[in-house]
Amino acid sequence: MTADPGPVVCDLPETGPSPDPVLELRHITKRFPGVLANDDVSIAVAPGEVLALLGENGAGKSTLMNVAYGLLAPDAGEVLVDGRVVSVRAPRDAIALGIGMVHQHFMLVEPLTVTENIVLGGEPTSAFGVIDRDVARRRVVELSDRYGLKVEPDARVRDLSVGRQQRVEILKALYRDARILILDEPTAVLTPQEVNELFDIVRELVSEGLAVVIITHKLEEVMAFSDRIVVMRAGRVVGETVPSACDEQSLARMMVGRDVVLRVEKSPHQPGSPLLEVMNLSVLDDRKLPAVRDVSLVVRAGEVVGIAGVDGNGQRELVEAIMGLRRPTQGTITLKGRDITHDNPRRTIAAGVSHVPEDRHRRGLVLDFDLVENVALGDHRRPPFSRYGILDRAKLEQEARRRIAEYDVRTPDEHVAAANLSGGNQQKLVLARELGRDPDVLIAAQPTRGLDVGAIEFVHRRILAERDCGKGVLLVSMELEEVMSLSDRILVMYEGRVVAEFEGGAVTEEELGVFMTGGGRPGAEALGSEGTDA
Amino acid sequence: MLLSDIITPELFASAVRLATPIALAAVGASICERSGVVNIAMEGLMLIAAFSGTAVALLSGSTWLGVLAAVVASMAFASLHAWASINLRADQVISGTAINILALGTTGYLMETVFGHPGTTDPVRTIRPVFDFPSGGSGALATVWTWVDTVLFSYTPIVYFGMFAAVFLTWALYRTRWGLRLRSLGEHPRAADTVGIDVYRGRWSAVLASGFMAGLAGANLTLEQVGSFTEGMTNGRGFIALAAMIFGRWVPGGGYLAALLFGFADALQLKLQIFSDVIDIPPQFFLMLPYVLTVVVLAGVVGRAVAPAAVGKPYKAKG
Ligand SMILES: Nc1ncnc2c1ncn2[C@@H]1O[C@H](COP(=O)(O)OP(=O)(O)OP(=O)(O)O)[C@@H](O)[C@H]1O
Ligand SMILES: [Mg+2]
Repeated sequence: MTADPGPVVCDLPETGPSPDPVLELRHITKRFPGVLANDDVSIAVAPGEVLALLGENGAGKSTLMNVAYGLLAPDAGEVLVDGRVVSVRAPRDAIALGIGMVHQHFMLVEPLTVTENIVLGGEPTSAFGVIDRDVARRRVVELSDRYGLKVEPDARVRDLSVGRQQRVEILKALYRDARILILDEPTAVLTPQEVNELFDIVRELVSEGLAVVIITHKLEEVMAFSDRIVVMRAGRVVGETVPSACDEQSLARMMVGRDVVLRVEKSPHQPGSPLLEVMNLSVLDDRKLPAVRDVSLVVRAGEVVGIAGVDGNGQRELVEAIMGLRRPTQGTITLKGRDITHDNPRRTIAAGVSHVPEDRHRRGLVLDFDLVENVALGDHRRPPFSRYGILDRAKLEQEARRRIAEYDVRTPDEHVAAANLSGGNQQKLVLARELGRDPDVLIAAQPTRGLDVGAIEFVHRRILAERDCGKGVLLVSMELEEVMSLSDRILVMYEGRVVAEFEGGAVTEEELGVFMTGGGRPGAEALGSEGTDA
Repeated sequence: MLLSDIITPELFASAVRLATPIALAAVGASICERSGVVNIAMEGLMLIAAFSGTAVALLSGSTWLGVLAAVVASMAFASLHAWASINLRADQVISGTAINILALGTTGYLMETVFGHPGTTDPVRTIRPVFDFPSGGSGALATVWTWVDTVLFSYTPIVYFGMFAAVFLTWALYRTRWGLRLRSLGEHPRAADTVGIDVYRGRWSAVLASGFMAGLAGANLTLEQVGSFTEGMTNGRGFIALAAMIFGRWVPGGGYLAALLFGFADALQLKLQIFSDVIDIPPQFFLMLPYVLTVVVLAGVVGRAVAPAAVGKPYKAKG
């Protein structure tokens, strides 16, 4: 990963200007302290068009879209809707203009229900502003059926895993019937099947005249669903193309300014002795319903064990139980032969386990802390970072600077609040802390969520490097490609159980998909809940 | 001999009366904090209202004009708090504290300038109870009627308004568009903003609503109960109201019930003081009762109550 933008790689075929853009951003400039996030950026999208906005982490994509949605005030430039200059002072102006947005970091009110979150701001009411709850619920159910995004209308958002929250966030935007839909990484934690279903419908809406701007790091989505592609780097537009005139490799090169290995090769593995052993583990979720049922698994030294599964099948609870964040109802967890079932996270970390949580905002970072403090979390009690309970700021800052450089966290300096980093850079910061600790066992949930292709390559290499030097890795990911390319063994979780186990490389995405949705081939490697560690 | 002397209908009625200023403030504070603004100024707002209400009632001769003045004055000071904590994004605890100090100073100063002496004002005519049913004869039925009449039908208008407000606002918080939006403001104002809700306006109206309720609390205290103003007469009720709000888990009805508990403790201690000779416990001990209850409630039961996630955090609309 290099911070050097390199020479501008432009690839501008004759796309021809789209007729009458419905949304146009002209010469937008947005400056944050120490960062020029948008530097004279102009883009336009027409009705019936899907515009993909690509760019490495911190390129300024979210900033640009937040300007269009009224969440940020640009220092210069203007927003046009239907060819007229409009003033978007707040999101409600954008909504009135027909703009809808799915936010990279979900805008969900945790204690409210799914239905309440979706209708908030556009509640169906009977007389005197009384919410018509039946109508609200029915609309949510209809919407979720129509788009193939399953949600439980009465569940509280705080009880949902990130994948489910993602669905709610998307439904929220669709509920509002926007003419212009901005999607900022809508698919980061969706399964491929959900992505396909969603885009089929979005395509339908687009053919009826919807305009879509989508930000994503998944290049296959871009190739499959977009009409036009704009690439940003370091706050500027550096290229524009159409899917027929490029491929994933060339797009990746345009984004990060160098060749990217989209699928890293791994050397054959020699697993050693067991590091992490989970025996007959059962865990309840936040609603006290069984989430993990009698799961056993082993992670050996020098192997990556991948867990595939549709989100919400117990992966989160399994990880939290291992980390000591959730109390199991049954079973044991041992680390290098020592029972850590009832250890708290502090002891688990001290014993050599690192954890990349699925939700960087909820569990990964203290957003108001600066980068130094965030890097220190979890190690702050140990020398050389502190002695006798007193932090050694100089050592900490030195270490933070080293990791920021190594993990290429794009930031003006190490003293900005983590909240001010771009989404992908926040993710890199979590990785810098957890991988930088040099753990014996790494438990990584959605480790590359929101990372650009260059950063993903780097993280994948790091994970394999950990494995090659004898560490154990438990990888939980929605991203089947990621699970398949990194794992030496793949376990499939369905409804809280491990329903199948495969050797890495000996299974196809389709086969995994079958087990993930509760099916299974007779006579295959499908296993009962017992004997998964065989 | 003791129990039937203590457990009388009048004990419960007096509990409700004593609870009312606290309850009104607790209901107001619940609304305010649900929007994400801490309002520890309830004490000061009540005091301002108590003074303004009495002063205007005395000068104009109209008690109801006094009630209006109490509400207006309290809302005026509440808008100071709103402006400081919403528009200027000041620390809400500091802003509230400033208003409490300001209220103490202002009322003391105005006592001197308006009435020419510190301490207590002349008495005003207090507002009469809404109902005046005749007491009914004798016998068992009469006893029942005395209980019903005293516990349910003996109160002044603002007391009934407090009950109504608690029930109505609890319903509205969970069933109306207003309530849903209010809750979203206190939990995640940016999420509310992104669906088109005006965070500043929502918070402003919530703070003003708490000012309105504090105004009524002050009016109830002076114009319906005591009948005069004394410096510092709110005597911590605004803070007890905040305890009631927490105990009631930021639900208006919960706050009201918690305030009733404090009111009952107060009524009980008043009653017990009368008997302090008989049971040989110094009266100061009973005086402590409501405050001890506050401490116990805050320390113990409240541990698990969760405040709105964004309460106390200023919101910056645009970066
Ligand atoms: N509120 C803020 N305060 C200060 N700097 C900010 C703020 N928001 C964004 N930035 C900076 O602006 C730059 C662009 O950020 P932006 O979020 O637009 O990136 P992005 O292209 O969306 O990246 P990603 O793919 O990681 O989401 C980054 O360098 C980031 O640090
Ligand atoms: Mg972004």
